[in-house]
Amino acid sequence: MDKLTATRRSLLQLAGWLGVSLAVSDWEALAAELHHESGNTAELGPSLLESGELADLEALTAQIIPTDATPGAREAGVAHFIDRALASFMAPLATQFLAGLRSLRNEVRSRYPEGVSFANLSSAQQIEYLTSIEHSAFFGSLRLLTVLGMFSNPSYGGNQNEVGWRLLGFQNDHAYSPPFGYYDKDYPGFHVSDGAVP
Amino acid sequence: MTLARYRDSYKVDFAVVGSGAAGGVMARELARNGFQVVLFEQGPRLGPAQFQHDELSNWFLSGITNDPRVSPQSFRASASEPTVVSRFGRNPLFYARMVGGSSAHYTGNYWRFREIDFDERSRLGEISGTGFADWPIRYADLEPYYTKVDWEVGVSGLAGAHPGEPPRSKPYPMPPLPVKSSGVLFERGARKLGLHPFPAPMAINSVPYRGRPGCGHCGFCHGFACEFTAKSSTLFTMIPEAEATGRCEVRSDSYVCRIETNAGGRATGVTFIDGHKRTRFQHASAVVVCANGAETPRLLLMSESSRFPQGLANSSGVVGKYLMFNYSTRMSAVFEHELNEYKSVQVTRILHDFYESDPKRGFYGGGGIDARIGPQPAVWALRAAEEGPSWGSAYKARLMEFSRSMVIAGHGTSLPVATNSVSLDPELKDAWGMPAIRATYRDHPDDLANARFLQDRSVEIGEAAGATRLTRGPIAEQNFGLHLLGTCRMGDAPGDSVIDRYHRTHDVKNLFLCDGSSFVTSGRGQPTMTIQALAFRAADHIGQFARRGEI
Repeated sequence: MDKLTATRRSLLQLAGWLGVSLAVSDWEALAAELHHESGNTAELGPSLLESGELADLEALTAQIIPTDATPGAREAGVAHFIDRALASFMAPLATQFLAGLRSLRNEVRSRYPEGVSFANLSSAQQIEYLTSIEHSAFFGSLRLLTVLGMFSNPSYGGNQNEVGWRLLGFQNDHAYSPPFGYYDKDYPGFHVSDGAVP
Repeated sequence: MTLARYRDSYKVDFAVVGSGAAGGVMARELARNGFQVVLFEQGPRLGPAQFQHDELSNWFLSGITNDPRVSPQSFRASASEPTVVSRFGRNPLFYARMVGGSSAHYTGNYWRFREIDFDERSRLGEISGTGFADWPIRYADLEPYYTKVDWEVGVSGLAGAHPGEPPRSKPYPMPPLPVKSSGVLFERGARKLGLHPFPAPMAINSVPYRGRPGCGHCGFCHGFACEFTAKSSTLFTMIPEAEATGRCEVRSDSYVCRIETNAGGRATGVTFIDGHKRTRFQHASAVVVCANGAETPRLLLMSESSRFPQGLANSSGVVGKYLMFNYSTRMSAVFEHELNEYKSVQVTRILHDFYESDPKRGFYGGGGIDARIGPQPAVWALRAAEEGPSWGSAYKARLMEFSRSMVIAGHGTSLPVATNSVSLDPELKDAWGMPAIRATYRDHPDDLANARFLQDRSVEIGEAAGATRLTRGPIAEQNFGLHLLGTCRMGDAPGDSVIDRYHRTHDVKNLFLCDGSSFVTSGRGQPTMTIQALAFRAADHIGQFARRGEI
């Protein structure tokens, strides 16, 4: 048990199991303790993909969540996440996904002889190609895995440096206190509506 | 405190199967009334130190739910359509598989039913092609037990906040949770339309209550167990109180796969497979099944014998039939400023103006509408892809609206249709060699019409609230349910129901069922409050029967 886990455990036991009531300020202290912990027990597998496949996968994920003024799937390490996921905790999806990726690579090779691999196509060509397959089952799996790699806990290998969460504006603290947003700052309080309900 | 431990060969008063919303209440009430109880749970006993804010695990890898890798299910829309088998990810009939059951991972919306939920068939008449029926009990029968849930399980809310609220004998024990931006906007929009929004009743502590702390507002309620223990799950409320009597043993990692009966047609106990895959038998004077609307009928069907060839307590043939999911719709709304809906509980304002069915609409149905989180990052991003651009720059622009977005959700009725059912798959087996669940489900056309109606009202509220953009979520036939209702319905007539008004099976005198399967109609989308009120009431009656020697 590492230190943070030990801290978390003892604090939560204090709060929940010994019946001690914590005030909001205690939750804030607890949140500070927990802030950098996103621990889980995911076992990351070895790399499944060859370097050419990995480069294409990275280019594919970068078209789903592109890099512009802000980071995208590339900076989040989504391709790395997918590679490791298919080798371990998402292994049941591996065979079908790899077959899809390989058939995409073959198709690109025959359709774009000048580029040969998806990663080497121009961005316009990549978008043109993806538009032609966006309703396929493979594309659906690719998008699912890209989103999971972008927004899951960084311990799974994606969402590196929490770039996915930062993109959304998701804070990943373990406790908050009101006001939570702009509109609940000046809430005047609830009053019961007049009139009968239809 | 000495925890009770019973030998398998010792005949306990009650074997309670399932430790969720109903089973936790049942075990606590029976144990407090002096009975010896073994509470069986197929899943593990987990505590706050093991709960993680891990979307991937909880929503995509069945981290705390029934896992298709070991408990696969099959699904079909009707008997003549292809059957799809789930083997990875998430099962079509979804529930938490741990001590506390789905009360561990629920959102905690605790609406009471209203009078009409119990006698709507008498008011509206027959609906052809359905088993639409009155309950044998009325709201007044349940009211004292709803109040028990409020006070003993722990519900936050504001009594009298809604002019259409059903009669209640006591106020809520805790004030409502702090309003979120979604609630403020929803309230503003609804009031402009002359509607009656009110603070959502939630089974989450708004202040410290009964030894548990107030909510830490972490935002991970729906699909997650509460690491603060502020959510009023039976795991933190009823079950420790059952154990504190010294008469209730919680037996986790113990999968009950058969209720045994003797030549006289009485239940003698339960056969279960323990964590070491040993098959064991626990003697019990009576059995109470609270295993949820999917697993309760499955257990009865698996308990068939020469005396009960259609499955136990199934002389009516109704076990597993009339499955109801409730229909929920969503409408995404984006606003100018930040809402940060990922913080705090899922819902702070709701309205019940469209609760009743209105024949003028041309279909049966009604429901509640609420403002809510839309939910956590990964699931939110996947839903966003269903509603508009699903990749590329336009999708990324949509993702960056996360903190300014909310959802207005409609929660509606499902009609009881006999062909919607839980049955045993003829081929598929689970990791213990037991027959898997086969779910058959197609929403009744009125359920879909009602969903569209509630979504239209959601759009109006969003517009009145000043949303800069509104996007409707898809309304399509459901192939996934987490409200599992109606599959062992209650009724006075043994030919068309499984249990009587006291939850005793018509066929087996010492076998009782109580959970979502007991429902006759679906209510308006939030069943757990009623499941627990039924459990308090059933436990009262079962205890009286036992004391009078009527079991």
